[in-house]
Amino acid sequence: MARGLALDHAAWTSPWRTRSVRDKGLLSLGLMGAAITLPPVPGGVGVAAVAMVLLLGPIGVGWARLGRLSWLPGVSILMGAAAVAVSIRWENGVQFLVTADGLTTAGGLAIRASAATLAMFTLACSTPMVDLFAALRRARVPDALIEIASLIYRFTTGLLVTAGAIHEAQAVRLGFATRSATMRSASLGTSALLVRSWDQARRLEAGLIGRGYEDTLRTVEPTRRRSTRFLLASLVTVAVLVAGSAAWPVSR
Amino acid sequence: MHIAEGFLPATHCVAWYLASAPFVIHGGRRVIQQSKEQPEARLLLAAAGAFTFVLSSIKLPSISGSSSHPTGTGLGAVLFRPPVMAFLSTIVLLFQALLLAHGGITTLGANVFSMGIVGPFVGYGSWRLARRFGWSDRVGIFLALALADFTTYLMTSFQLALAFPDPVSGLAGAMTKFLGVFAFTQVPLAIAEGILGVLVFRVLLDIAGPELQRLGVVPALPEAVA
Repeated sequence: MARGLALDHAAWTSPWRTRSVRDKGLLSLGLMGAAITLPPVPGGVGVAAVAMVLLLGPIGVGWARLGRLSWLPGVSILMGAAAVAVSIRWENGVQFLVTADGLTTAGGLAIRASAATLAMFTLACSTPMVDLFAALRRARVPDALIEIASLIYRFTTGLLVTAGAIHEAQAVRLGFATRSATMRSASLGTSALLVRSWDQARRLEAGLIGRGYEDTLRTVEPTRRRSTRFLLASLVTVAVLVAGSAAWPVSR
Repeated sequence: MHIAEGFLPATHCVAWYLASAPFVIHGGRRVIQQSKEQPEARLLLAAAGAFTFVLSSIKLPSISGSSSHPTGTGLGAVLFRPPVMAFLSTIVLLFQALLLAHGGITTLGANVFSMGIVGPFVGYGSWRLARRFGWSDRVGIFLALALADFTTYLMTSFQLALAFPDPVSGLAGAMTKFLGVFAFTQVPLAIAEGILGVLVFRVLLDIAGPELQRLGVVPALPEAVA
């Protein structure tokens, strides 16, 4: 069962929340782009180092939270890299072998994916979803689509609590004691969630119509701090990473 | 089963974004059209999106001893049609990346293609085919959910194999490898999701029959003659 939205919690409390989405987005996308286009060493390592400094410094994530956030993508990356490291050959049946090529690719892949994940965290841990929706609206994404996305976000928070409560109630009634009981509990829980989400939507609709809701559900947007210095520093950081990667083979 | 952030090379990320874009744009247009014609539909669609997201928090038992979660796209495709699911899946996958660190931004195009396009289209196609052959709703729902899940897994394995062909046995070897690695959880999961779908559908027929009729999932009953 999902235990809340840890990345979202980090974003709401981040000191960088007041910064403009344009500034943070450019930095984060720049770092992600560098992670997947530059060689893992030194490019990927450089991106990972910069992202770690930002996350533990100004973004204020902290070691413990960063550890909790990283384990799920970490496991995915390790499983995928392990599959790449092992080669397969058909000679008198299936043979598994580890080649130097496979190991190099897997190592580079693990570095690149870790660096890109940390780069993504710099945006996810500093920008709540509602700020992202406001930025997309300003970027002229159709209102109806932003509306659906923000409603999904609103429903999600409520439904996660409901899903947690259903799971807890089923668990205390030994609803997960056996395989068949687990399937029965999962199906009843899923049905209850679907019906509740429809019911919640209907009640919200009735409430909104009563308040004159016609097209968009706009909310007050606090002013976000735009900074040319921040933007320039982001561009310089990415440029240094690119230049460092280009100079690396020469210096060796 | 999503491809993690940064896992694909840049050219593959761009290519999968381009491949997914027409489906997502078409789905977005359908959503806008539905919102204009029936303003109340957007709340139902949002509820469906949130349901798909939260569904990933429901754990199912797996044969390997671990547990995994359903994708929910097969059920969504039967209820709301595949183009709408392509758009809703994009939002759900974006949320999973930014709120749960599951999947990623650079790999969003690839994940949308497997989970939001291939899975729902195959699932919905199976449902329609089952109805055409006159099979029961239960068989249709089982096939829709199981095949949507299974083809998502096949497509993801193909995407990974294409990005990382095996140095010894090439694309075929890499495909076998990725299929094999995830088969332990994904094959039982696809079957479990199919069974779960049948149980959910049975409950839904009992408690949400009018909604299913309104969505056109089950035929409307003829009005009682006084």
